[in-house]
Amino acid sequence: MAVLIVLGLATGLAGAIGVRQRIDLINGATARNGELTVAAQRLYRALSDADATAASAFLAGGVEPAAMRERYQADIADAAAALSIVSGGRAGGEEGDAAVAKIAAQLPVYTGLVETARVYNRQGVPIGGAYLREASGLMRSSLLPAAQSLYEAVSEELDDARDSAGAFPWFAIFLGLVTIAALIVVQRYLTRRTNRVFNVGLLAATGAAAVLVIWLAVSAVLAAGRLDASRDEGSAQVARLAGARIAALQARADEAHTLVARGNGAAFEKDYVEVMPRVTQLLVLDGADDATQAYARAADAEAQKWLEAHKDLRALDEGGQYGNAVTAAIGTEPTSTASIAGKLDAQLAEAIEHNGKTFTREVDSAAGALTAADIGVGLLAALLILGAALGIQRRLAEYR
Amino acid sequence: MKGAIGAALVAAMFLAGCTTAEALPEGRADGGAPRPVDAKDPAVIPSGAAAPAGSCDPRASLRPSGALPAAGRMPAGSTMAQIVKRGRLVVGVDQNNYRFGYRDPKTGNLVGFEIDLAYEIAEAIFGDRNKVQFRTVTTAEREKAIQENTVDIVIRSMTMNCDRWQRVAFSTEYFSAGQAILVAKGSAIKGLKDLTGQKVCAATGSTSIRNIAAKAPQAKPVSGADALDCLVMLQQNQVAAVSTDDAILAGFAAQDPSTVVLPERFTEEPYGMAMKKESTDLVRFVNGVLEGLRADGTWTRLYNKWLSALGSTPQPPAARYQD
Repeated sequence: MAVLIVLGLATGLAGAIGVRQRIDLINGATARNGELTVAAQRLYRALSDADATAASAFLAGGVEPAAMRERYQADIADAAAALSIVSGGRAGGEEGDAAVAKIAAQLPVYTGLVETARVYNRQGVPIGGAYLREASGLMRSSLLPAAQSLYEAVSEELDDARDSAGAFPWFAIFLGLVTIAALIVVQRYLTRRTNRVFNVGLLAATGAAAVLVIWLAVSAVLAAGRLDASRDEGSAQVARLAGARIAALQARADEAHTLVARGNGAAFEKDYVEVMPRVTQLLVLDGADDATQAYARAADAEAQKWLEAHKDLRALDEGGQYGNAVTAAIGTEPTSTASIAGKLDAQLAEAIEHNGKTFTREVDSAAGALTAADIGVGLLAALLILGAALGIQRRLAEYR
Repeated sequence: MKGAIGAALVAAMFLAGCTTAEALPEGRADGGAPRPVDAKDPAVIPSGAAAPAGSCDPRASLRPSGALPAAGRMPAGSTMAQIVKRGRLVVGVDQNNYRFGYRDPKTGNLVGFEIDLAYEIAEAIFGDRNKVQFRTVTTAEREKAIQENTVDIVIRSMTMNCDRWQRVAFSTEYFSAGQAILVAKGSAIKGLKDLTGQKVCAATGSTSIRNIAAKAPQAKPVSGADALDCLVMLQQNQVAAVSTDDAILAGFAAQDPSTVVLPERFTEEPYGMAMKKESTDLVRFVNGVLEGLRADGTWTRLYNKWLSALGSTPQPPAARYQD
């Protein structure tokens, strides 16, 4: 009897605690890491856009257009806000901590260099350009790589949290099956000894154990399915879309820096040529829903348009029409690469938001699949113990 | 049985309470200004010259062959005729050398003494001063740009010396510079002798960086991709001094009034326009153009327009020829 009760107790505890932990992992780690991943992406995007915008503002000449200044300032504010989220979330382990410290230390240095460049530009002397190159070098060689490693560390944690949350509760199910086996052995033993076929208490205990095991198994499978969906239709698409967006921003910065270098920017142009195909590759989204596919197609069409416009722009610059090349790059008309890159970015932003919502929805329904399972498993375990105790108690009483 | 239940409860409590307070991150980060892109500390000093100083007259170029052909009517088959056919002259310039060749941040246009000289050559070839395309080249890439035909001419504070004459051809001298030292006002460095143990900056691939290694062997040379990067590093206390041509340094001091050019001038740096060694017709043509600019007062006018801050207007450097 003691063995039965301990088994029942252990099954109930392992089942209920396991369910509780998985609910916590889903609501806490998975949902939280999902948000932290979004924040890490936001950080990268904001930094990269600040770099591209600062270069474009420089190309604009004179006092930069107010819209560009505002965009740069919004980028810096957004980067700082996103950094505070990631930093507060302590995401990404040691690698994440190191990246956060690096970005927090260097972001003010970067903005200081950009402001110095701006002041000199307003005075009409060329050293402003040298400061801008130094700022951009810091961004591209240090800040962006740190933001990249932060993003990778954080999204790895998301995958780990999801794997733990979606793990099948083998231990609890094993205990449950052992309990059922033990109950059956005891009942067969009693049947042989007492010639009574049924023992209501033990039968109820067996039933409770069976329901417990089935509930645990089914809820776990359902939750794991929703978590898989949260990845396949949510975060995996977000990761690819964010990758495309980041590549596009890098290409945009390359394009501007090629013009800033003015004939001496072959390295930037080479980078553009390498980065742009990545945008198209990342827009091939297996398993994405129809809405996402539509966004991806629209974004891809903009990317193709951009490649064409870029070719024309480079031909202008190579052909000695530098001023026209600059206008083609930073002008406000819809044919400028600034406008096309802006539309591409907007499509990707909407697609990311759409998939972010899918992610949240699937994670919520994964948690939903486990709702009440902890209490249910606990009650069933209590029923199991009670049934076993009563059933055996009665037999013992008959022998006395 | 009680013992077993107790053990199970302890196990449950252990499982439920496994979260402990997380240790805080180290929070360590390096401070200080970043190094400009491609700056090298310590600098790599180029090894031996192909032709040592004194093995030639670096100022001597090729004599113009008679009167200049009329603009737009270049002799058939000449380098100039090819340029006319292309429709524009491609000139390698600087966009960071204040007053010589720099990007005016207010307009985004390249302006300066050397830029105006390029316009004059385009005028002589095309009769249209605007048929010129500027490509910026870094100090270290000037010879490569000529050899790889990326540009027709380099007009970019390039010192004529015997070593470079081995690989490119120079026009006659269009400006006489000399190497000097720029420091922050109030610096303890008063001349070459004080550079011992100090970080001194010049552009990668320049004659200046070789001269520092030769004239101040106890200094610690640092190089920037562009000489202007050296001023950035001086402002950020990454170097103690900048040593390059006095003309460039005067531009630095004009941009940052907290710096000063020391009076000591310890080398001669004649500036010439560099062209492909084989394009002797172009070299003679450019020298013809320069003769005209010296004679008709254009050189003096351009000097006064851009460089009057360097001091009273000198005579244009006299042309010297090797043939």
